[in-house]
Amino acid sequence: MVSLLHPMPGPPLPRRALLAALSGLFLPRRASAFGDGSRFVPAVAQHGGHWNARLSGLRRIAWELQRRTSVEVVAEARPLALNTRLFDFPFIYFGGEGDFPPLAPAELETLRRYLTYGGFVLADANDGSSGSGFDAAFRREMARLLPASPLQPLPSTHVVFKSFYLLDSAPGRLFTHPQLQAALIGGRAAVLYSQNDLAGAWARDEGGDYAFEVVPGGEAQRELAVRAGINICMYALCLDYKDDAVHLPLILKKRR
Amino acid sequence: MTGADSTARKLVSLSPLPSWALALLVAAVVLGVVLAAAGLRREPSLARRFVLIGLRIVAAAAALFLLLEPGVRTLQVARVKNRVAVLVDRTASMGLPAAPGAGSRSAAVAEALERILPGLKALEDRFSVEVLGFEPALVPVGEEILRTAAAPGTRTDLLGALRALRATDTGGSRKLSGVLLFSDGADNAELQAGVSARASTELAALGFPVSTVQVGESSLLDVALENLKVDDFAFVRNAVAVEVELRVRGFPGRDVPVVLEREGQVLGTKTVHVTGADETTQVSFTFTPDQTGRFVYTLSTPVFPGEAVTENNTRSFVLKVIRDRVRVLLVVGRPSWDERFLRGLLRQDANVDLVSFYILRTSSDDTQTRNPERELSLIPFPMEEIFDAKLSTFDVVIFQNFGHSDPQLSIAQYERKLEQYVANGGALVAIGGDRAFGDGRTSYPILDRALPVDSVGQAASVAPYRLHLTAEGQRHPVTSVLPTGTASLAAWDELPAASGVNLVRAKPGATVLLDHPGLLVDGKPAPVLALWEHGRGRAMALMTDDSWTWAFTVHRNGEPSRLYDRFWGNALRWLVRDPDLTTLQVSADPPSVEPGTPVGAAVTAREADYQPAAGADVTVELSSVRDRRVVGTARATTGADGMAHVSFPPQPVGAYRVRASARSGERALGEAEDALAVRTLGPELTDATVRTDILVALARATGGKAYRLPLQALPDFPLLDPPVVEVGRSRDRPLWDRWEWLGLLGTALGLEWVLRRRFGYV
Repeated sequence: MVSLLHPMPGPPLPRRALLAALSGLFLPRRASAFGDGSRFVPAVAQHGGHWNARLSGLRRIAWELQRRTSVEVVAEARPLALNTRLFDFPFIYFGGEGDFPPLAPAELETLRRYLTYGGFVLADANDGSSGSGFDAAFRREMARLLPASPLQPLPSTHVVFKSFYLLDSAPGRLFTHPQLQAALIGGRAAVLYSQNDLAGAWARDEGGDYAFEVVPGGEAQRELAVRAGINICMYALCLDYKDDAVHLPLILKKRR
Repeated sequence: MTGADSTARKLVSLSPLPSWALALLVAAVVLGVVLAAAGLRREPSLARRFVLIGLRIVAAAAALFLLLEPGVRTLQVARVKNRVAVLVDRTASMGLPAAPGAGSRSAAVAEALERILPGLKALEDRFSVEVLGFEPALVPVGEEILRTAAAPGTRTDLLGALRALRATDTGGSRKLSGVLLFSDGADNAELQAGVSARASTELAALGFPVSTVQVGESSLLDVALENLKVDDFAFVRNAVAVEVELRVRGFPGRDVPVVLEREGQVLGTKTVHVTGADETTQVSFTFTPDQTGRFVYTLSTPVFPGEAVTENNTRSFVLKVIRDRVRVLLVVGRPSWDERFLRGLLRQDANVDLVSFYILRTSSDDTQTRNPERELSLIPFPMEEIFDAKLSTFDVVIFQNFGHSDPQLSIAQYERKLEQYVANGGALVAIGGDRAFGDGRTSYPILDRALPVDSVGQAASVAPYRLHLTAEGQRHPVTSVLPTGTASLAAWDELPAASGVNLVRAKPGATVLLDHPGLLVDGKPAPVLALWEHGRGRAMALMTDDSWTWAFTVHRNGEPSRLYDRFWGNALRWLVRDPDLTTLQVSADPPSVEPGTPVGAAVTAREADYQPAAGADVTVELSSVRDRRVVGTARATTGADGMAHVSFPPQPVGAYRVRASARSGERALGEAEDALAVRTLGPELTDATVRTDILVALARATGGKAYRLPLQALPDFPLLDPPVVEVGRSRDRPLWDRWEWLGLLGTALGLEWVLRRRFGYV
């Protein structure tokens, strides 16, 4: 059984506050980014499998990003076919439950170009699978997509674990795989892959309640999952900013 | 040439017997004497022993005389007339005064030569006398030359001069009997540190004595800057160290200021308190050049009354200030895709040293933490450090969608610093967004003075539009992303539609490179990209936050595009004044010359599209930095390669600027400038020291004598005697073939026989 080390639960969020905050997103604001293009939009890749199991989770993480950081977001999950429209959205969530059919060659080609020129993919095994289901299908497609950049475990020293919050791991709805996996292109993690169902921890149902139980760590683990999501989004937006020399001494001091 | 003939006689053996046979005979004769002495050892009468041995010795001597056949040889001989060289130092230091207020050292030598002339003439019956100067090459000199012509040598090499002189000693009449050397001893070659043991050995091996005559007083008054140490180039915004030795002779108790200037601008002053009569102090300066280019720096001290040399109170050097890597400060109002792709580009560029600060959280953001200090990786925004202490270390400062009203994030108190940074040569870029150009909650009116645009106070337009490359943009290096204007225009046209623009108006003097095709501000298309020069610096404003699409979205169809990389590469090069991005370039050729050397300048002119400007009219002005006066103007026409070369007459010591302008028909091609230094003549004039120690040691090592001026007459200096050689035939007169010698032998032997019989030995 995997246990959480140093859980850091955030203060409880009253549902009324959540609704007020959500409504605020749609109110006119004096300052706002130029259209959607400059905002963070959690685009969701449409593949042949069960791709839309965590749309509410993506809305939620976008909202958390808006609430907790200075990033401007569009708090809606935007489904996208794997075609040239991808190039309007440098961040794509590629999740699913169970197996999915192989991607078409054109889709692979587009996705490869997308990643090569700076796009970012957050892959998430919503079924928490390992060696079967989504995991097997995704690894199969990664081998076709980036044969020269296989998925590899991401050490806890990677900048993604300090891009906003100081973290040691990235739990999700589950915590069966403490480490994220990554496919690197030129030193940049172009694909991050979680087998812990990150978005499952973020997802809410229509009533505003969390859609899934988080095991084994409960709400503390859920907060860590949100923080991991924030960090991943920040990494997509800021790359290795927190690895700059000006930050390292302070961050190392904080980590002691 | 030889001396007069004379007769010499000498005693020789005329015996035809070989030497070994003569030696045997001599041995036999000696043996006879010894045996005779041995046979008489028991003779009790001492008188008898003396008489008998004496008679035997007389007989032996007579026998030897007859055997060796001595004779007198009469020879006709002559003495060879060897050379004596009077060697005169003809290096530049001999132009210095021999004493405070006196004439030059060369003039003092001329006067001395006049005085010793009778003595030199007196030597001519035995020697051939040559008066040579060394520059360091050996050339004949006379008093007139010494009085009138400046000593041209740039280096005093006493040992080298003596080696050269030794090479002329080919024996016979070219053999040197001695040298009289007139010099101040101010060697700046092998003997600079004194006469070493090795040099002494070499001097002793010359084979002739060198006598020295010291010219000039060693106790002079002088302030000199010597042994300047500085690199030829430096990196902009990096500290440069300059070291120089201040040597002060004859001014004890004085305070001597040393001033470092860059073309009239004082960079620093150090004052040295002198306590001794001859004191050398190391003086160091450190300064940080803030602009790239070539500049003349000058170190100087005041000229004190009575100084022997005033030229060595100033030292100039040319320093080329280059860029190491372009140091970019990126300040980001909030993370965005625009920031992400710009960061990715700058981080990949090996020529860019990126320092970035992002506002990841504002005071209104709720991070959901109980202990933010431990749970967040955020660090305080070090505004004071980067906008005050470190600002000048950056080549380019980029504000990307930055405009916070939060007091903790507002840069209002550093506006003036930033504006001054640009005015003093820095570069500023403002990139648009909802927080920029007045669209945010605050504005920075003082900093805005540095920008080429003014906000119009209207909300940004978010309607999609296609960028329009202006006519200026098609020619300008920043937006010339492809070799021709047409190709660049096509590349910009292929970009995806832009999604927003901050509404601004271009200030007078600004150049708009990209604009909005349909949106008007004050009746003109709304600028999207504008730039200008502010003071000595440059600034650029990009009124959109979706330039990231030029890097990413543009690749959607699979066609590679390098527009984004080239645009930012060009922009950074233009902002930091990369010399390759100017249409006119001039460079002093060479950048540093010595007095008496013509000053040259090479000019390269290009058209606006960076093609060589053939047939352009180039005007080059040479002006003195000290008094800002134009000292020469030259004109030329460029060749097919766009290049021209001009030349100016030699200029006095000092710092100069070369300014070039060019026109192609009615069109100006721009202006450019460079710096050059006419330097003090090498080490000769920087050190007025008279080196008595070297002259004395040199004389001692060669067997000569050391003298000093004034000379009333030619001193009795050591000379090797010329060798004597045989001329004509010899005559032999035998001494042995006389009957007296034979009679003496017979008488001695007979008398000895008679006495031996009488004494009972026979």
